[in-house]
Amino acid sequence: MNQWLLPISVLLPMAVGAALPLLGKKSHRTLHLVVLAALLLQAVFVTWLLLLPQIELPLFAMTDTLTVSLRMDGFSKLFMAVAAYGFLAAGIFAFRYMEHSQRQESFFTFFLLSLGAMVGMALSSNLITMYLFFECLTLLSMPLVLHDRTKESIRAALKYLFYSVAGAFLALCAIFFLARYCTTLDFQAGGSLDPALAAGHETLLRVVIFLGVVGFGAKAGLYPLHGWLPTAHPVAPAPASAVLSGIITKAGVLAILRLIYFCVGPEFLIGTWVQQALLGLSLLTVFMGSMMAYREKQFKKRLAYSSVSQISYVLTGLFFMTAQSVQGGLLHVVFHACIKICLFLVAGSLIFNTGKHSVEEYHGMGKAMPKTMIGFTMASLALVGIPPFNGFVSKWYLALGALRAELPVFSWLGPVVLLISALLTAGYLLPITIHGFFPGPKESVPEKNNEGGPLMWVTISVLALLTLCSGLFARPLAQAFGAMAEALF
Amino acid sequence: MNSVFLLLPVCLPIAVGLGIFFLKRHSAGLISGLAMGATLAASVLTWLLIFLCRQESFVLLHLTDALSFCFRFDSLGRFYAGIVATLWPLTVLYAFSYMAHEGHKRVFYSFFTVAYGVTLGICTAGNLITLYCFYEMLTLSTVPLVMHNLTRQAVRAARTYLAFSLGGAAFAFASVIFLVTNGAVGEFSFGGLLAGHPYERSALTWVFFLLGFFGFGVKAAVFPLHIWLPKASVAPTPVTALLHAVAVVNSGIFAVMRLVWYCYGPTLLRGSWAQNIALGFAIITMVYGAVYAVKEGHWKRRLAYSTVSNLSYMLFGILLLTPQGLEGSLLHMAFHSCMKILAFFCAGAVFHQTGREYNASLGGLGRAMPVTFTCFTISAVALTGIPPFNGFVSKWYLLTAAAECGTPMAYAGAGALLLSALLTAVYMMPNAVSGWFGRAEPGSLDTIREADWRMGLPHVVLSLGTLITGLFAQPVVQAAAAIAAGG
Repeated sequence: MNQWLLPISVLLPMAVGAALPLLGKKSHRTLHLVVLAALLLQAVFVTWLLLLPQIELPLFAMTDTLTVSLRMDGFSKLFMAVAAYGFLAAGIFAFRYMEHSQRQESFFTFFLLSLGAMVGMALSSNLITMYLFFECLTLLSMPLVLHDRTKESIRAALKYLFYSVAGAFLALCAIFFLARYCTTLDFQAGGSLDPALAAGHETLLRVVIFLGVVGFGAKAGLYPLHGWLPTAHPVAPAPASAVLSGIITKAGVLAILRLIYFCVGPEFLIGTWVQQALLGLSLLTVFMGSMMAYREKQFKKRLAYSSVSQISYVLTGLFFMTAQSVQGGLLHVVFHACIKICLFLVAGSLIFNTGKHSVEEYHGMGKAMPKTMIGFTMASLALVGIPPFNGFVSKWYLALGALRAELPVFSWLGPVVLLISALLTAGYLLPITIHGFFPGPKESVPEKNNEGGPLMWVTISVLALLTLCSGLFARPLAQAFGAMAEALF
Repeated sequence: MNSVFLLLPVCLPIAVGLGIFFLKRHSAGLISGLAMGATLAASVLTWLLIFLCRQESFVLLHLTDALSFCFRFDSLGRFYAGIVATLWPLTVLYAFSYMAHEGHKRVFYSFFTVAYGVTLGICTAGNLITLYCFYEMLTLSTVPLVMHNLTRQAVRAARTYLAFSLGGAAFAFASVIFLVTNGAVGEFSFGGLLAGHPYERSALTWVFFLLGFFGFGVKAAVFPLHIWLPKASVAPTPVTALLHAVAVVNSGIFAVMRLVWYCYGPTLLRGSWAQNIALGFAIITMVYGAVYAVKEGHWKRRLAYSTVSNLSYMLFGILLLTPQGLEGSLLHMAFHSCMKILAFFCAGAVFHQTGREYNASLGGLGRAMPVTFTCFTISAVALTGIPPFNGFVSKWYLLTAAAECGTPMAYAGAGALLLSALLTAVYMMPNAVSGWFGRAEPGSLDTIREADWRMGLPHVVLSLGTLITGLFAQPVVQAAAAIAAGG
């Protein structure tokens, strides 16, 4: 019986989302209540699922080889929970943020549809199903970007679409080769590559696996397919950027995780050029993202570059292929989602209340919006990785894992790049706090406002407190993820 | 059922079509009624024959001792006939609405019906000579449809079409002659007819094979012989949709299948330079068509270039010369027909209701014509190859076949296929996106209505078909696999 919960948890937000336009031009209050009910119900559902053991449900077969089926394992739970709770927080924030928008029902429709696709991705039990939901997620989250319907936003949305589809086709290339050389397309911890079949085709396989990882990396903002992130985020409404950056990019991480650890198997890649090339790309992305963020003045674009950099922390963890590094990566998935959603909501709140987009205009903001700016400061400290905030914990495991990997060059280069990037992170986030609370004597201080009402500042504060609490009490999560990571090797 | 009955679905539409042409006194209702009646009857008959007809040949007449005009309904023919017989009545229904305000209805319905019979003739042809005759007849019967508008542009397009098709057929005829003089005059047999003749693996064989390939390749729009196809999109939409996305172009593909798999034979061709040249052109066309589709600003011409690209997927599959390749090719033939005819129908509906035909002029139309744009979005997603729609299944099988084959050409083709699939997203999605989310002039949408049910029904049926054949592709895959296994 429990197995039917899986499709329900995918279809529930999708069905509600698809039904929203049917509400017609009812009051926004009704709309918000329906969306809130759906998000809460989904969160409850997911919480319930977290307590259940692994369940599986084959849905149907398109052909003999192409089957669609769902399964929930530990990794599904992780990504599913991040999605459900993250969307809940951003959704609540959006009720206020989108208040003046003409097209609220369109926003919330695609918001809920994206949530459904993301949960579907987490619950996929084979590559085909995951590919299906990956493409769905692209198509359904694209309208979030072009919400404003300006020329610029439509162009940004198409850019996002093309990058993602290009990535997906690169990945498809890997998938159909793996379909030949793996015993099955179902996910199996440790991979299902058939050594007898693969013998003699190792180079080919490694090339296509590399392409596949780079392809899925498009969603995760991995260089060289990261270009859509800094274009799409600034034009999207803040709650949409929050989930795009905090959660939907994690779909790329999940896809890469499934590809490397559940289809190919890490031992096929450890020590090969593929691992080194991927590490090179991800470390380059970490550094480059931070650098670009440091130089960027527009706040949301800065955060977008920051995401590019931070998600590559996770990918670096996956590419080092040790239990600790994967553990650190998984922790960073959760922590970064929490931090980045908080930061984007802060950006949303600042724009909503003051209409200012550039960090140079935020001087003295701490006086005008103290609660929001305190939340921002906490999230910034967490992202930099200062204990006892949660970012410290994940980065600790990442660095530890890198050192344990015992690779030439990368084992020390990895932690060094992570440190430099952390410095840059401090460089692009903390000055906003400093100028916000301590503006120069000659600068005019913006007027105090109500910080967008409780719906905004409470959401931000809760997320900010979470970054602290999940750092202080990271032990259970770290242990659980450690066990999951161990099982992969 | 005896295979004499094969004559029925072939002759009935031809007879009725000619009848319409020579009608003395006529009304619009009578003409369209006759056309629909003949089409439906032929479709029902075809489907009955697909399930009931015995696989034996029926010789209509002997031209000489060696040459005969004969019919046989083998599994490949049945497969293609199934596609045609399903899509034709839908298109006639669509045409009722689309052509309501156009002139020359008598000519249109007459030739449209004749073309149906001729296409079924291609499906049921039992040997190369018969196929060739119907192939020429298809060209002749569809030329008046292309120049239907009688504008200068339309007449020029028809002339180009005629020149290319007849010229191509002449080349193909050379190949036919070569086959006949070398004793391969019998009925089509899976695996080829040429085994064991004196020129078996000589340069002469390859040259004549290539002549045949490019000759029949004209209709399959292989680069550089594809020029007529985008031009022909001046024709009324039912014609571009059915003939230039399905019947005519797939007849080209079908003829190449017959040529490669049933006449020259895959074992003979495998590994020859002729195979590589043909493959090379198919691969170039895949990318070329897609690139030009991206550049094109006219909606229907863009779809026509997309057809150019997609047809070469099929040629690529055929020319891999592996059963998996043929299987993928057949799947793509079936699924592409469904997706592309749907895309054309949508473009036609928009043109019919609003007069807009350029990609840049679609802003916001989705809000006025939601059904049409939903269907177009489905076809765009399916053409791009996103599961669970059927385009994904056929691309999957083609790619798997390429990987299985493992030659450098096959890998190049797989790469080209993926690149062209990406370009498909680039040229299909913007139209859908600007339709849904683009800006419209204030007030410009007020007078625009959704097309009536005769256009709407084919849209919805085909959209569902695109989804269902993707979700439950197994029966089609099995049918294609059976053909590729020689059944």
